[in-house]
Amino acid sequence: MASNTKGAILARHRANDDLNTPLLPQVARGDSDLAADGMRGPLDERIIAAASAALENGHTHYVDVPGIGPLRDAIADYLKGAAGGHYRQGNIVITAGLQESRFLSVQMIGEQYDSIAVPAVIHPGLRKALGLRSRNPRTIAVSQAKGYLPSIEAIAQAASDGCRLFYLESPSRLSGAAYAADEVAAINQIIAEKDAAVIWDQGLAPWVEGAYASFAALDSDCARTAAIGEAYSGMGLASWFIAYIAAPEAWVSSMQSQKQIMAICTSTASQYAALEAGQLYNEARGRQLSRLAQLRADLLSAASEAGLSVVGGEAVNVMALKLSEDNMKKISRAGIDFAAGSLFGAPDVIRLNVNHSTAAALRALS
Amino acid sequence: MSKKKKTGTSLLYQLIGEARGYDDVIIMGRGDPDFDTPPHIVAAAKEAMIHHHNDYTPPQGLLPLRQAIAERVKRVNNIDVDPESEVVVTNGGQEALFLMVLAVTYPGDEMIVPEPNYNTYADSLAFAGGVKVEVQTYAETDFRADPQDIRKAITDKTRSLLLVSPNNPAASVIAPNDMREMLDIAVEHDLMILADDIYDLFVYDDFQHVSPASLPGGKERALTLNALSKAYSMTGWRLGWIVGPADLMARVTELKAAVSGGASVISQYAGIAALTGPQDAVEMMAEAYRRRRRMVLDALDEMSMKYGMPQGGQFVFADIGFTGLDSAEVAQRMLTEQHVLAYPGSAFSKDRKDYLRMTFLQPEDQLMEGLERMKVAMDNIMAEKQ
Repeated sequence: MASNTKGAILARHRANDDLNTPLLPQVARGDSDLAADGMRGPLDERIIAAASAALENGHTHYVDVPGIGPLRDAIADYLKGAAGGHYRQGNIVITAGLQESRFLSVQMIGEQYDSIAVPAVIHPGLRKALGLRSRNPRTIAVSQAKGYLPSIEAIAQAASDGCRLFYLESPSRLSGAAYAADEVAAINQIIAEKDAAVIWDQGLAPWVEGAYASFAALDSDCARTAAIGEAYSGMGLASWFIAYIAAPEAWVSSMQSQKQIMAICTSTASQYAALEAGQLYNEARGRQLSRLAQLRADLLSAASEAGLSVVGGEAVNVMALKLSEDNMKKISRAGIDFAAGSLFGAPDVIRLNVNHSTAAALRALS
Repeated sequence: MSKKKKTGTSLLYQLIGEARGYDDVIIMGRGDPDFDTPPHIVAAAKEAMIHHHNDYTPPQGLLPLRQAIAERVKRVNNIDVDPESEVVVTNGGQEALFLMVLAVTYPGDEMIVPEPNYNTYADSLAFAGGVKVEVQTYAETDFRADPQDIRKAITDKTRSLLLVSPNNPAASVIAPNDMREMLDIAVEHDLMILADDIYDLFVYDDFQHVSPASLPGGKERALTLNALSKAYSMTGWRLGWIVGPADLMARVTELKAAVSGGASVISQYAGIAALTGPQDAVEMMAEAYRRRRRMVLDALDEMSMKYGMPQGGQFVFADIGFTGLDSAEVAQRMLTEQHVLAYPGSAFSKDRKDYLRMTFLQPEDQLMEGLERMKVAMDNIMAEKQ
């Protein structure tokens, strides 16, 4: 017998476009998949040894909800060094991946605000997280010239319109564009004047060449910023689902309670692997950054020769192109998967991961 | 300045936090088995780190793991599911629970919950904006949920019925006849069923667990959760699952993607090894729990404490009403004075201030020591009372 109750549940579900937003793959499904959010990469044998030893030594039980202490310390130290954040262990929550960081931050910090200002172009995971329980999102216009980041003026306008919580990516997860230091300072001034708060997705920051300007660095009291990102991206841990939230302790408390309700803790194997990855990160990231930067420079030259329109961005692990529908089909016909900008809110753009297969995508267009 | 009195999950975490400060503490609270994960599962995880660390995993989980889960729920629970479309892998039973509640609850919807029950159900329901409608059960009847009480609790807003069997914290098992009657009620009133089978391998004496989804007419309206945490001593790996009808599981998949995106690929390969590898460790642990349960019941009998007979699960829910104190106070005194952590019943239900939940997830010498210290604490409380 058909169930009307189930029918009603499913009808409401189907009508929820935000919740049904497709997610991009966490890691590539093969060499021709340039759509994934996370980076594939070799796993250092020292990481394998550390994670295995932890499991063999009985670290197979529940651990503290916000994560094991040494990893929280390591993330806090890393953020201090890399982005100038002012964090201690009590500010850090280890999560089961970036999507959990998004979900916990927008849902639990969002509970304290009437609305959340969201850029018109943003990673689809945010819309999905908000689709589960709306926090009254308000759209901020973005600037194509700024690589689809909101302009300072647009942020100021949203604040003037009453928004007190902002979700911002820098670098953009579509284009890799990042705010410059003076722009971050200007955003900070707006936020401080309005006594507002920011959830700042800085997951692509490790792949910015040169200085990276983090909003968290300006929040010296650690009072108004929740910074989120993957834990040690590029170290071969993308499929291990490990990320962080760095936030004021009052926010950590509510997110920790919610994390207990929905997961208890994060996989111990992932946490001990990340702990070791942190030890190796500076050197490994430096090598990878140089390699990616050279690769991307070559790709930009090739794109220029082919007359393609590249969206400017600072993160060297991604490249966004403005393309016609026909050109998007050409890439698909070449068997290459890309991240469709339509999922982010920019239908005439695609995002390609920068790796040894990216040149094939450009060749398909030339 | 008076501190706000903690309740529910936050009360438990306060006690856990204090317990960490005692070197000689005996933990009889948290549901974390003392056994480490069996070595062949750890070995499989290590293999996965070498060969599969970059594997793509969809939000619903690796297909080989979903196939292993489908085989397991058929073998153990007699539930037929298609691994392609009717299984979603989760970050432990806790995420499964959260997603299951979200899957069937919109704001204002009522869920019937036999009490006492695991406190996270109330937390998840509150997140979803749902309303918990309690049906009380009692120690005198071994915490049996009476189907007729469930029927009486149904209103025009009732959308779902929660069935946790064996129950946490009361350790009751829903008898097959009762389960059939509850399913009939669910069909009659068109309710969804949320079935929590996480303790299904721990059923004692002649009691029998039946999954509602295995009964005729059950599968299309039931979501069933389980996890590897308790049966394989894998609490730190965070691996569980939900099975159910394909149409509803499509919603569960989207919810899973929204909440956390996926589950660690290493844990998933470890899960495959757990479900498809040797099962002797599971039986060894189950046998240990049978022995320890007997030890706890003997000790409680010696203390003349009443309890509902634990028919399944890994704990005993004992009546401490004779002390005249709230269970939170008794738990606090046991912890502070004797360094024994048991969970107060008030953390599970506001109406269970007369109960303590004690696990039997400790090595037997520690368990015996814990019970002896508990007796000292109770004697002290009673001496003060007189």
